[in-house]
Amino acid sequence: MSDVLRVDAREKVTGKARYGADRTPEGLLHAAFATATIARGRIVEVDTAESEALAGVVSVTTRFGEDELGPPSFVMGGGYGTQSLQPLRGDRIAHRGQPIALVLAENPVVANHAAELITATYEPEAHASHLDADQAETLLQREAIPIPFADDLTFGDAETDMAAAQTVVDATYEHPAQNATPLELLSAVVQWHEDRLLIHEGTQNAGALRNGLARQLNLDPQQIEVRSRYLGGAFGQRNAQHPYLAPLVLAARRAGRPVKLVLTRQQTFHQASFRPQTRHRITLGADATGRMTAAVHEIDQQTSRHDLFPGGYAKVTSRLYGIPSYRSRQRLVRNDIQTPGYVRAPFEQPGVWAFESAVDELAARVGADPVAFRLANDTSHDPVSGLPFSSRHLGECLRRGAQAFGWEQRPLAPGDWTDDEGNRIGWGVAVGAYPANVTPARARVRVEPDGTVLVETDGHEMGQGLTSAVTSLVTRELGIPAEQVRVRLGDTRVGAQPLTAGSWGTASTLPAVQAALEQLKAGESGAEAGNGLPTALADRAANGLVAAAGPVYGEFAAFSFIAHFVEVRLERVTGRIRVPRVLSVADCGRVANRVTAASQVRGGVVWGLGAALREHLVTDPRLGGFLNASLEEYPISVNADICAIDVDFVDRPDPLLNSSGVKGLGEVAMVGVAPAVTNAIWHATGQRLRKLPITIADLPAGGRRPPSGPSTGGSRPTG
Amino acid sequence: MQIKVTVNAEPTLMDVDPRESLLDVLRERLQLTGTKKGCDHGHCGACTVHLDGRRVLSCLTPAVQADDTTVATIEGIEGIEGPDGELHPLQEAFVRNDALQCGYCTPGQIMSALACVAEGNAGSDEDIREFMSGNLCRCGAYVGIVAAIRSYAAGQP
Repeated sequence: MSDVLRVDAREKVTGKARYGADRTPEGLLHAAFATATIARGRIVEVDTAESEALAGVVSVTTRFGEDELGPPSFVMGGGYGTQSLQPLRGDRIAHRGQPIALVLAENPVVANHAAELITATYEPEAHASHLDADQAETLLQREAIPIPFADDLTFGDAETDMAAAQTVVDATYEHPAQNATPLELLSAVVQWHEDRLLIHEGTQNAGALRNGLARQLNLDPQQIEVRSRYLGGAFGQRNAQHPYLAPLVLAARRAGRPVKLVLTRQQTFHQASFRPQTRHRITLGADATGRMTAAVHEIDQQTSRHDLFPGGYAKVTSRLYGIPSYRSRQRLVRNDIQTPGYVRAPFEQPGVWAFESAVDELAARVGADPVAFRLANDTSHDPVSGLPFSSRHLGECLRRGAQAFGWEQRPLAPGDWTDDEGNRIGWGVAVGAYPANVTPARARVRVEPDGTVLVETDGHEMGQGLTSAVTSLVTRELGIPAEQVRVRLGDTRVGAQPLTAGSWGTASTLPAVQAALEQLKAGESGAEAGNGLPTALADRAANGLVAAAGPVYGEFAAFSFIAHFVEVRLERVTGRIRVPRVLSVADCGRVANRVTAASQVRGGVVWGLGAALREHLVTDPRLGGFLNASLEEYPISVNADICAIDVDFVDRPDPLLNSSGVKGLGEVAMVGVAPAVTNAIWHATGQRLRKLPITIADLPAGGRRPPSGPSTGGSRPTG
Repeated sequence: MQIKVTVNAEPTLMDVDPRESLLDVLRERLQLTGTKKGCDHGHCGACTVHLDGRRVLSCLTPAVQADDTTVATIEGIEGIEGPDGELHPLQEAFVRNDALQCGYCTPGQIMSALACVAEGNAGSDEDIREFMSGNLCRCGAYVGIVAAIRSYAAGQP
């Protein structure tokens, strides 16, 4: 009695699960924003007359007083917000799509109509919207943000070892900006009850919303209650207080009525954080025996003009292998955009895509099988800190995956393998890693009169299955069925609710629940416990600030690992790139709950496939913003894109990280999928493509076989 | 203007704004919030409901167009909250195959899948994938969704 079916599935399949905007309190007003049509400059005048004259419009606000609406604070600058820019507080425009007016109306259609009627005159200024734009400003990250967290990583002597290397690969990789696009639109319902404020919003960070609003609006945090029981996906886009929230709260107070905001999908593209565009130069050297001896990873990453969003690409690329010499150089490029942010595997997706592409190229150059080459360069020690890994079963992931995939059937040479219909076949492999961080969490458990065990804890349920993992733990520890377990989380009534992100949710919450359960088993009828992190961190978390430990702990470094095996077929007639099967083997410590964990990995793979073959935010160099700001034109994977995805786990508890033996999973699942795809495309075509996403147009002959028709030499059926 | 619409077997008479979508009416006026808004532009399928037995995107359907029709939402599909609180077999299949994560697209997936099977478009995995591609799932639960629909379709008399 341990693995459980998703415990909230029933509520979700019946439509009863209530998300942030699924509330319609009495007297509800609906909000909508009018937004800037320039990318940089100053507002001269906003014309709201036509909008205000519309029947059903209650109010239109273009500016709040600076004393009424305090300054916002950036989450990466010791604050709570997605960025340090607060719209409707001054006349500066920092990005296209920035709100310039807030409408309240009796129903959503009137609110949106009224917002569309608002026009403005501006004093525009020259702007930059991408890495190579004229007005962009490039900063060395370690100088711009002089704290250890943002520093470059250097060990050994990369230059000397590179010069001595037998074989060197030096290549540059272009990764596009991408949007998380959780399906639930960014939204909130805010409601005053006298001097108490109730917020319903799907957030990964109810603690930041509470404390951020309190600071901006000069309230006591205890006056504010935030409930985020269900999220319709988040993936990093809901990890802090959005700039829309404080104006919404003020407008609701002025109106004396509750207010609901549902951003339009286009506005989520133009207001919410996104994965910044990056460029990666990777230089790798190997000696005559095929050992990698030196690596250099240089990164250029977008940030906004008003915030420094620190990149963390080197943290993982320096640890994929036991390379003795390594150097990174991270630069930030200031653009006139909303501040970019964390999107699932924020640095690991782009960084590892580039690095693992180069590793594959190096393996080919030295004539090695790509699995064997990776195994030969494995390590048990963290090359950055010199400490042992708490656990690292990457070699087993590779070996197990290779066997199950039938890797021994793969021809070594690229571009010469076709199926019976003349479609080209390619098999690719890549590995991934992700820091095993943890954040403070507390849990209370109680046996109810009817025998139900109630667990109240920190953490947010975004669909990753935290509630199911907690339930699974309780059933295992107490020997009771899942139906007798009730879990409450994501709610400031039951905890401080610090940020759930960075794949640390389950590894942080489970040890707290476990500690409380131990007390319960010792005879208490109710118990409360933390997860044992230092008080200083716990205090930060209790105040809604980001408080993460890891991945380097006192005596070890902790990471999750994964290996992905991908088959691509390039259709002979259409040139389409299809991925008929993916096999992923993960080392996430103990598997907290197999059903939901396997779904998380499959979801991560789907994200990786989308990143490799579909997703690309197209910037508009002329007007700023994004040209494809809709779910039609920003193409995430659809059902027809996805075929077989097989998932396996090493499932060995991490002996050091925490009492539950659990490492993170949600993000490592995605890391390495994209390079496995591009490596497979190389195997099918002989072409190294270094810009994502890869589309038909990037392939030689549009992906089709040359006119001579399918080659039969060397072709053989797949296993 | 006034419309007469039967929603989940309940005849309803209401005044609607000609600009209002069926989705907003269901969610904001009838409190049927199981139907979700993911884009409001017909791109994502989260708002899928049945109108006279056919699957439609309620965000692209003006409420006035629902006049004199029968609308079914996730709250009204057969089997829900039956005498023993049992689920519809397709809902069961979604639970069993873990065909969801965050659950936001799930009501739309289920309404679409019911129609997909009824249309005769669930004969193979390939068909299911094709005819379910109007319903996006950002969590990437597609493998489970296909498995759930396959098992439900196979169990049909």
